[in-house]
Amino acid sequence: MKLTLSLNGHSTELVAAPGARLLDVLRDAGCTSVKRGCETGDCGACCVLLDGEPVNSCVVPAAFAADAIVTTLEGLNDDPLMRRLQDCFLEAGAVQCGYCTPGLLLVAWQRLREGGELTEYDVRHAMSGNLCRCTGYAKPVRAVLDAWEAMP
Amino acid sequence: MRNLNAYLFATSPRDAVRLLHTTAGRGCYLAGATDLMLERRADLDFVVDLRRAGLDDVVVQDDGALRIGACVTLNRLESDPLVREFAGGAVADAAAACGNRPVRSTATLGGNICSALPSADMVPVLLALDAVAHAFDGESTHDIPLDEFFTGPRRTVLDGRLLTGLTLPAPQPGLVCLSRKLRRTAEDISLVQAAVAVARGGNGLGYVGIALGAVAPTPMRALAAEDILLRADPEEFEIAVAAAAESAADASDPIDDHRASAEYRRAMVEVLTRRLLREALGIDPTAEDPVHGGLR
Ligand SMILES: Cc1cc2nc3c(=O)[nH]c(=O)nc-3n(C[C@H](O)[C@H](O)[C@H](O)COP(=O)(O)OP(=O)(O)OC[C@H]3O[C@@H](n4cnc5c(N)ncnc54)[C@H](O)[C@@H]3O)c2cc1C
Ligand code: FES
Ligand code: FES
Repeated sequence: MKLTLSLNGHSTELVAAPGARLLDVLRDAGCTSVKRGCETGDCGACCVLLDGEPVNSCVVPAAFAADAIVTTLEGLNDDPLMRRLQDCFLEAGAVQCGYCTPGLLLVAWQRLREGGELTEYDVRHAMSGNLCRCTGYAKPVRAVLDAWEAMP
Repeated sequence: MRNLNAYLFATSPRDAVRLLHTTAGRGCYLAGATDLMLERRADLDFVVDLRRAGLDDVVVQDDGALRIGACVTLNRLESDPLVREFAGGAVADAAAACGNRPVRSTATLGGNICSALPSADMVPVLLALDAVAHAFDGESTHDIPLDEFFTGPRRTVLDGRLLTGLTLPAPQPGLVCLSRKLRRTAEDISLVQAAVAVARGGNGLGYVGIALGAVAPTPMRALAAEDILLRADPEEFEIAVAAAAESAADASDPIDDHRASAEYRRAMVEVLTRRLLREALGIDPTAEDPVHGGLR
């Protein structure tokens, strides 16, 4: 099937089998920040934003992208909030192997954009679908809170 | 999903039923796809996507009942003000405790119910609140008490009909609804789920709903246990609660598997049911158990 979507701000046409996963279609389109991890919806490495909501693209049919807005980490390269978040991740030492990082950044970015109060609990609730084998979570959580405190 | 020939979008409930029944091959409805994508079914020729069929309303009716469309996502249930305010937020809290944030973006209430897993996490709360399911056959809609909806693991009474949504009757004044689940890790499926809803009324309790999940081939209501409490005198609530919890455990029919033994699951039905009922009725949870003694 042919899918017309906005991918990272560009109107795009993709071709996908009716049963294809969004994960595979995005990686084939060159968005390699979308990582293939557990492939069962548990780890968050394949996280992308679909119409602004975080989804794990390994459990999302490619067809969900039809007429939708899809954002991967590549699409937020020049976004000031994402830049700040990335800086906070670096400063906090929240990146080790980096495999989980794109997913963590997207989920955190979406939660920061949602606004409202942000406690450590809120950050952990938002990130509960992102598994990280390296950092033990304390530093990524700290980094998100740092980015929030630095928000205007 | 692997061998699909066609991916169809339904534009209305009627369109969805028509597409399912007139398309050649074997098909099924698809809502959030979080269950379907993992099942990796090789036998499906087509799916009918329901997300554009207009099944995503959340409405409080004039009589105070809450109507939830089948395609409302778990994330929406968690945050929607109408759902948060209903029955003390019991349905919203149950949704927040399912899966993880990205999964809740797409996973729907209807999908959770229609997958009909014995361990579906949304179901016990809905059963305790006396939910009614609405099944649409393309012509008319039939109201089915959720209690009569499940016929076995992964089996329902739907038989090709579309679940359009659920109605939760208006809670009686002062109703308290609580639920809890036991699992080995945050990601694992539930070992035991229990939900209770109670409201005082007359000389005693005016409403009692007790529901269990993951401890029988289908989610279930513990009707005998409800009856014990409905007939109980307020002076005897503590004893009635202990008896109701025991009755709920007797009514459950859990399996032995690598996650837990049937014996453990049954014991936990009793413990969870008693604790939830005591909390809901404002009985000191640290007081000595009137029947068995000790702190239970
Ligand atoms: C990582 C992960 C974690 C999860 N955690 C939990 C958890 O903690 N608790 C839990 O209970 N579940 C959990 N699940 C399972 C799943 O997310 C939920 O059951 C979800 O609510 C299913 O909804 P869906 O819309 O995605 O269903 P779909 O996959 O779209 O559909 C499921 C089934 O229901 C049928 N169906 C869907 N809608 C209708 C309708 N309106 N009428 C008739 N039939 C219909 C479909 O044909 C299909 O057979 C998890 C899944 C994943 C991937
Ligand atoms: S690869 Fe999708 S959640 Fe792990
Ligand atoms: S930094 Fe390695 S998995 Fe998170």
